[in-house]
Amino acid sequence: MTRSECFEFLAPLIKDQLVIGSLSGQRVEWGSLSRHEGNLLVAAMGAALGVGVGLALVLPHRKVIALESDGSLLLSLYNLPTLGNLNPSNLAVFVFDNEVYSGTRISEPSATAGKTDLAGVARSCGIERATTVRDLESFKREATKALEENVLRFVVCKVDKTTGHRQIQRPNEDLWEHKYRFVRYLERTEGKEIFKGRG
Amino acid sequence: MEVELAAKIVGGLKEAGISFVAYLPETRLSQIMPLLREDGSFMVVPVANESEGVSIAAGASLGGRPAAVYMEGSGVYVSSYNLLVLGKRLGVPMLLIVAYYGSVLDKRNTFLYAFPGIHLIPILQSLDIQYEVLDKADSLEDKIKGAVKMMHAIKQPVALLFTGEFTA
Repeated sequence: MTRSECFEFLAPLIKDQLVIGSLSGQRVEWGSLSRHEGNLLVAAMGAALGVGVGLALVLPHRKVIALESDGSLLLSLYNLPTLGNLNPSNLAVFVFDNEVYSGTRISEPSATAGKTDLAGVARSCGIERATTVRDLESFKREATKALEENVLRFVVCKVDKTTGHRQIQRPNEDLWEHKYRFVRYLERTEGKEIFKGRG
Repeated sequence: MEVELAAKIVGGLKEAGISFVAYLPETRLSQIMPLLREDGSFMVVPVANESEGVSIAAGASLGGRPAAVYMEGSGVYVSSYNLLVLGKRLGVPMLLIVAYYGSVLDKRNTFLYAFPGIHLIPILQSLDIQYEVLDKADSLEDKIKGAVKMMHAIKQPVALLFTGEFTA
């Protein structure tokens, strides 16, 4: 199973959900498959899950999807006890775990290539529906449930080591432009003003 | 800190429009916590790490609730990466309510606090985060309101560093 195959299944299912992504190949692949205005790809390790939690808390009627990676989550494991305690029912977390640090090239193994079981860590932090999937059919089943059900889900997706994202052209949009697009979409769909021009 | 001062801080935050507070408590300003929880206008979220506080507050802010992160001065060090990539690079407004321990005016200063205190402002300056040092209750509400106005205007974090009277 590749991350790209998972995204190809997930992207067409996204309607008014908010999708928060982290860094590297994941950001490039999701950004090329989905032009959804509710995408916020923060381009930072260890930050997407927290941003997703904040959005899920203040917009409890919206489904929020956080796309994480093993390296990014390992950098920010402090999120998991908080997530377990807050238990936002409108949040689904997918961790694409290729067991390696792989930005521009396949590099060194991450801790999940060894003994670390991220779904096990999540369960021990109180996240009851934390599971690991290793094939595309299992991913499709979990992703469908995550979108349909109003319950916190944490899905670790074991994916192949790939550098396919290196062949994809990067979007010509900087982060402030990306943020404004997301916020204006939220303002329009939520019917409220978030960023006031004058401050 | 006297309860009256805590009430003034919470009242100032409310008046300025803050409605979401992520926090990792410490000892100098923690009297604000029960007041924040009692006041129904705030969503109050405990975190395990100040970096997490910054990222959760960023999400809340982008979702339309003016957000603050309450932390000890050491939290600025801990959260500096997220302050940079979310606060500055992405440009997300949030108020940092910082217990400025280890300052010259910190009434509980010791060797434990002095060194982190000495380097706190240089850290904020290196991140180009606007800040204001508050050591007295004079014009407190106006200063909080001004900081919140500033964070919305520049769409970046602004820090209020509480020391002096607030550290008694």
